[in-house]
Amino acid sequence: MTAWRRENTGDLAAFEQIMSQSERRVLRVALRLLNNQQDAQDAAQEVFLRLYKHFGDLDETRGYEPWLYRVTVNVCRDIARGRRRSIGLAEVPDPVTPQPDAYHDAERAQQREIVRRGLSRLGEKERAALVLRDVEGLSTREVAGILGSSENTVRSQICSARLKLRDFTGRLLRRRS
Amino acid sequence: MSCSKFETDLALYAGDDLPAGRVARIESHLAECADCRALAQDLRASQALLSELRDEPLDDAMVAQVHHRVLAEVKNTPWTWGAGFTPRGALAPLLTLAAALLLAVVLLWPRHQPKHVPVARVEPAHVTPIAPMPGPDIVPVRHRVVRRHMRPAPAAQVGPPLLVQFVTDDPNIVIYWLVDQKPQGD
Repeated sequence: MTAWRRENTGDLAAFEQIMSQSERRVLRVALRLLNNQQDAQDAAQEVFLRLYKHFGDLDETRGYEPWLYRVTVNVCRDIARGRRRSIGLAEVPDPVTPQPDAYHDAERAQQREIVRRGLSRLGEKERAALVLRDVEGLSTREVAGILGSSENTVRSQICSARLKLRDFTGRLLRRRS
Repeated sequence: MSCSKFETDLALYAGDDLPAGRVARIESHLAECADCRALAQDLRASQALLSELRDEPLDDAMVAQVHHRVLAEVKNTPWTWGAGFTPRGALAPLLTLAAALLLAVVLLWPRHQPKHVPVARVEPAHVTPIAPMPGPDIVPVRHRVVRRHMRPAPAAQVGPPLLVQFVTDDPNIVIYWLVDQKPQGD
């Protein structure tokens, strides 16, 4: 009996198992979409409560990952609209002076931080498409299915998002160098 | 940027999203355009950083906090276990049984009570004439003819009821039947 089937029969242990398998992925996506730890935790909690509530409605043959991604995007969108949090350039943390032996790692971490800030400045739909495609590594077709868009729309969104992100990160990285 | 018409394709090319038919054209252009090569390099650098975000470790405490919050919430819900309210959950057998009982009650519940319940069936061969009894006159039973458009007889013309006695196989059972007399106008 698969975990999914056992979950449908009302097994709390199976639900916990599925949550353990997917909670880091859900949290990671929520963090990239919201760029705020507390909001991401709230979003992940809401996602799994909805998963629990809708066990019987889910199609076992299609798996639960696309459903989880879709609900995560929707919940994060609702939270972002409700709280209207925005991260500006001034909030990008100042670079720390790295130790010589850790210089490369620290520099890379700073670059990732800049990319995170760049993501937060993208529009809602572009950010969701880019996170699912380039961070999560899903195919364009999968992203289109999750977002309820056509593949052409998703290509257009990720194309625009990549160019905007490159402009943002390129400007900051050049400034720091 | 001098080659703005290639920007879109370059952004798709950086993520391997460019249709195969346009890859050759963009690669041919990159071979001769330094600005576009620089753009493609920047885009690939961004792609690499984005993919690194996927591998960044999450704070275990943050994950555990969400985990415990969800389980606490789930265990405190009034519907507890049962996969929500869906029939495929643990409530399914109870719901099915309740539905079957309800259906049986609806189907078997008497719609109406019969107005006349026969006490016993009497074979015509066993009907025997009886001696007159004191009281109302006893006359042979006649089928009452019901005529349509019959005028109602005045109440004063209806005679006294007749008493008919039926004898059954069981000597302990005797049936008496009071029959209204036919109006005298017929």
